[in-house]
Amino acid sequence: MVPDDLLYTEDHEWIRDDGGEYVVGITAWASEQLGELTFVELPETGMDVHQGESVGTVESVKAASDVYSPVSGHIVEVNETLEDDPGLLTKDPYGDGWLFKLDSIRVADLKKLMKPDAYERFLEEQTE
Amino acid sequence: MRPTPLVDDHQERGARLVDFHGWQLPLQFDGILAEHRRTRTHVSLFDCSHMGEIRLQGDPALACYGELVISDATAIPVGRGRYGALLNEAGGVVDDLITTRLSDDEAWVVCNAGPKDEVVATLRSVCGEGVEDLSDALAKIDVQGPEARATLQAAGFGDESAALSVFGACREVWRGWDVVVTRMGYTGELGYELYLANAGAVDLWRALLAFPGAAPAGLGARDTLRLEVGYPLSGQDIGPDCTALECGLDRFIAWETPFRGKAALEAQRAEGIRRKLTGIRTRDRRAPRPDYAIYNGDSVAGRVTSGAPGPTVGHGIGLAMLDVAVADPGVQLEAGPKRIAIETSTTPFYNEGSWKR
Repeated sequence: MVPDDLLYTEDHEWIRDDGGEYVVGITAWASEQLGELTFVELPETGMDVHQGESVGTVESVKAASDVYSPVSGHIVEVNETLEDDPGLLTKDPYGDGWLFKLDSIRVADLKKLMKPDAYERFLEEQTE
Repeated sequence: MRPTPLVDDHQERGARLVDFHGWQLPLQFDGILAEHRRTRTHVSLFDCSHMGEIRLQGDPALACYGELVISDATAIPVGRGRYGALLNEAGGVVDDLITTRLSDDEAWVVCNAGPKDEVVATLRSVCGEGVEDLSDALAKIDVQGPEARATLQAAGFGDESAALSVFGACREVWRGWDVVVTRMGYTGELGYELYLANAGAVDLWRALLAFPGAAPAGLGARDTLRLEVGYPLSGQDIGPDCTALECGLDRFIAWETPFRGKAALEAQRAEGIRRKLTGIRTRDRRAPRPDYAIYNGDSVAGRVTSGAPGPTVGHGIGLAMLDVAVADPGVQLEAGPKRIAIETSTTPFYNEGSWKR
């Protein structure tokens, strides 16, 4: 089961409306696939990013994976705790393991994202 | 996928199993980082039953084998092993091997799972009689870590095994099983590799795991451990498409003896190599990854063959096939689509291992 108050991308990012600000992270499924995390590269606060743009990297013992912005917007905060404790992302992917926050987002971009039930079906296809 | 004799035990312990050259092997048990650290500080057990073991019996087979491989295999004393490689005629590396002389007229060749059939076929066709593939009948258990000797002794192995020096080998009867014990490894730590009939594998595995603090480790930790000591993996860092000189195997070549691929290597040695397997590292926890292109300014200077974060050294490490012009240690380069900063490095990256103890 994935949280029902988020929207999802095919690259396994999630985004949550936090009342004007939007919080972005990667899903539990994605962090499990990567395994133990060793390094997180975050975008810089103040950057304007586009939907689908690579804005960071998540590295595990086994692999490195790009993080893409789910929508266009302006980065207002990044989770610097992850730089010292990348494992937080695995422990709490939908909570303390968030990656960055956006405002001034392009609202139309949200329509292109998957709702929770669609993302669950997408995951089932991935594991089949 | 082919199971090893220990696969049920791995599943009971919750291992994540993967396909490795057609074998079903554990990637990890309680986590690659934990298994890596445990091997550096205590002891880990590795199921390496997928590897190939070939018996050479009698002088003609031993002499013939000696004329095939790059090391002087005929000069290995009884009770000793030696690293070497089998090349193709072009000097490319079919596989790297360890040859262990168990008696005057018997030696064992241990090779990797991927090229095993080709190694066996080559030895059979060139040397004929006296070559026997034992791989399907044998299990291989590696005991690696500073407490490896204590682990063996606690499981009931005797003084001869405990007294082995680095690259030493002996036979011991353990609970009725004929076990070949070699003091070798792939981690930079004190280590032993144990060979016995499949039917005895579970008993031995469990007896070794009874040692306090001992736990199994998988392919993931095996890879980060070997990379920290700079050992190349056959089929990944070294292979038929690079020569023994390009692969950095120079110091294992007995030039005064015959071996397959010698003419090609002599020509290349005279001409000079153009690329070389080289250690690379980052200055942070970011890591180079296999198949990343390596850039020297705007031009491509090579390719990463292995790369991972080094859990003990605390920075990214790897091996790369690089133009010789940039293969000296300390050259600043970039790797991968994000052009991460790397520099060439001597190996091993990790020097504090317990292997000499």
